[in-house]
Amino acid sequence: MIDPTLLAASTITLGAPLVLAALGGLTSERSGVMNIGLEGAMLGAACATFVVGMQTQNPWLGLAAALAAAILLMLLHAVLTQAFAIDQIISGMAINAIAAGGTSFLGKAMLDETSLLRAPFLPTQTYWCVAALAVATLAFYLRWTRGGVHLLAVGNDPDKSRQMGLDPVKVRYLALVATGLLCGLSGALICSNSGSFRDNMTAGRGFIALAALIIGGWRPLPTLAACLGFGLIEALQLHLQGTQLAGAAVPTEFWTSLPYLVTLVAMAGLLGKNRAPAGLGKP
Amino acid sequence: MGDIKGLGARHIVLVLCSFALVWLALAATKVPPLEALGQLVQGSMGSPAAWKQTFREMTPLLIAGLAVFLALKAGLFNIGADGQLVIGAAAAAATAIKVPGLGGVLLACLAAIVAGGLWALPAGWIRAYRGGHEVISTIMLNNIAGFLTVWLVTGPMRDPTQQSGTTAVLSSDSWIPAAVAQPPFSLSWTLPVGIVGVVAMALWLKRTVVGFELCAVGANRTASETAGVKVKGVTVWALMASGGLAGLAGAFFVLAYEHRFYANFSPGYGFDALGVALLSGGSPWGLLPASFLFAVLSSGSSAIQLTGVPKGLNGILLGLLIIVFASVRYRRSRLGDD
Repeated sequence: MIDPTLLAASTITLGAPLVLAALGGLTSERSGVMNIGLEGAMLGAACATFVVGMQTQNPWLGLAAALAAAILLMLLHAVLTQAFAIDQIISGMAINAIAAGGTSFLGKAMLDETSLLRAPFLPTQTYWCVAALAVATLAFYLRWTRGGVHLLAVGNDPDKSRQMGLDPVKVRYLALVATGLLCGLSGALICSNSGSFRDNMTAGRGFIALAALIIGGWRPLPTLAACLGFGLIEALQLHLQGTQLAGAAVPTEFWTSLPYLVTLVAMAGLLGKNRAPAGLGKP
Repeated sequence: MGDIKGLGARHIVLVLCSFALVWLALAATKVPPLEALGQLVQGSMGSPAAWKQTFREMTPLLIAGLAVFLALKAGLFNIGADGQLVIGAAAAAATAIKVPGLGGVLLACLAAIVAGGLWALPAGWIRAYRGGHEVISTIMLNNIAGFLTVWLVTGPMRDPTQQSGTTAVLSSDSWIPAAVAQPPFSLSWTLPVGIVGVVAMALWLKRTVVGFELCAVGANRTASETAGVKVKGVTVWALMASGGLAGLAGAFFVLAYEHRFYANFSPGYGFDALGVALLSGGSPWGLLPASFLFAVLSSGSSAIQLTGVPKGLNGILLGLLIIVFASVRYRRSRLGDD
């Protein structure tokens, strides 16, 4: 049998990066900016935290680099979609390509000779607390503050909110800075979970976070639940590896693709109505 | 879709920033940029073997590019080309192993088209009838396709004599032969077929009712709905046709080049295909230079790795290329369509 405390611990370990990234997606998409670039921002952060942390041997500087890298990439997304009016999907794809190429490039160029050096990291529990705090803050912010209502208004109808005297572009820039901040934390956490940087180490977690966001209906608390659910699936998969379920061996690939399957089912409307922000993707 | 009006200083700044970034990246590796550029050209077009490699890369890029292009014409982003490609490749390999010979080749291509099309069906259905964005659903389908094919080649389709997860090698009578074979250069028939496909696509979009309806839906969904086009139906089958073409690209890569199917089959051809389709500039003819450019970058970047420039440069270049091009071509109008 599985030890429940062990299972809970690995659920949180695997779920926390998803929570942070999904919240990042939430601030972006609630402001109306579709963001498939989460993956790229996380990857950039993971690489930056390792390179800087290794060079300076200072965990705080490493974290700062992670945040800076992710915020820069998300600001790029903001500039491209708002100032240059590039389609938000294309911009997100380009950011993912640049981040994947750039981090692989940096990793090869910077880490060759010194790969034995290790980078110091903050204890992962710090990130867990920040993630929990971020969920609560965001839930409160969206529901009870003026800024939160402005964010939702811009995301639901940029044109009307412009007529009401809001500046959608400014709101979106700020929202994307928040996205960068959260994705930066997520990337730094992923890197400190594994201890070093590898090519494409986020391995699609940005997309799983997007999936959790969709299942959670773009709301903070349900999104948290979806992320932990995906974390639990991943944890179960690690613990159940090789064991049999109902007499037959379930292949690992089934468990790893479960989050994607669940998301498809949710998108097909079988798990409740579509709650996408009305202004998602509008300029 | 934007016109060329409204280009200004900020676009020039964007281009300059892109150049600066690439220059900086090359400076970090201490390889002189011009030398790296020379190596890239040399490694992709400098010798018969290099040309062979470039044409080999160009084949899946052109056909998958055609697939993404078709969906894009209907106003849909088929990011799922990669998943459809590997599913098609797996179906083709499975069929060709069971049925050898020329009939097997044709049957394998057909199986790949059907498999790729069916793999795109959920995305089309969700988009048309549930309003879920096709980008998200195809990303999910890509990941599922990846895991499914890994499971297939480590389980049911695995060649037991091999160490790693791969199918058996196809018998040589079900390989698509080379059109030109003068070692070290060779050119498979698949690339001419792809070029014929481009011509067919150009004629089909211009000269047929269905092609016209597809473009109408891409240009303005509401107006075509009002004009009596069945927008939902067009959405579903446009994505399915796109998936079928992507599946065919996978089949060609199995039958003409790899002769087997293995885990993590595609190094991201489906994603590069999106770049190819975007760079084509809305015309099928544009797919030819675009896929050639991406193939040059791909085979050239393998070559410059030898001089100490990491392969990641390829990703940076592609991303910047897409950004610069999209900033000119694919702008959403401020008045808000869709």
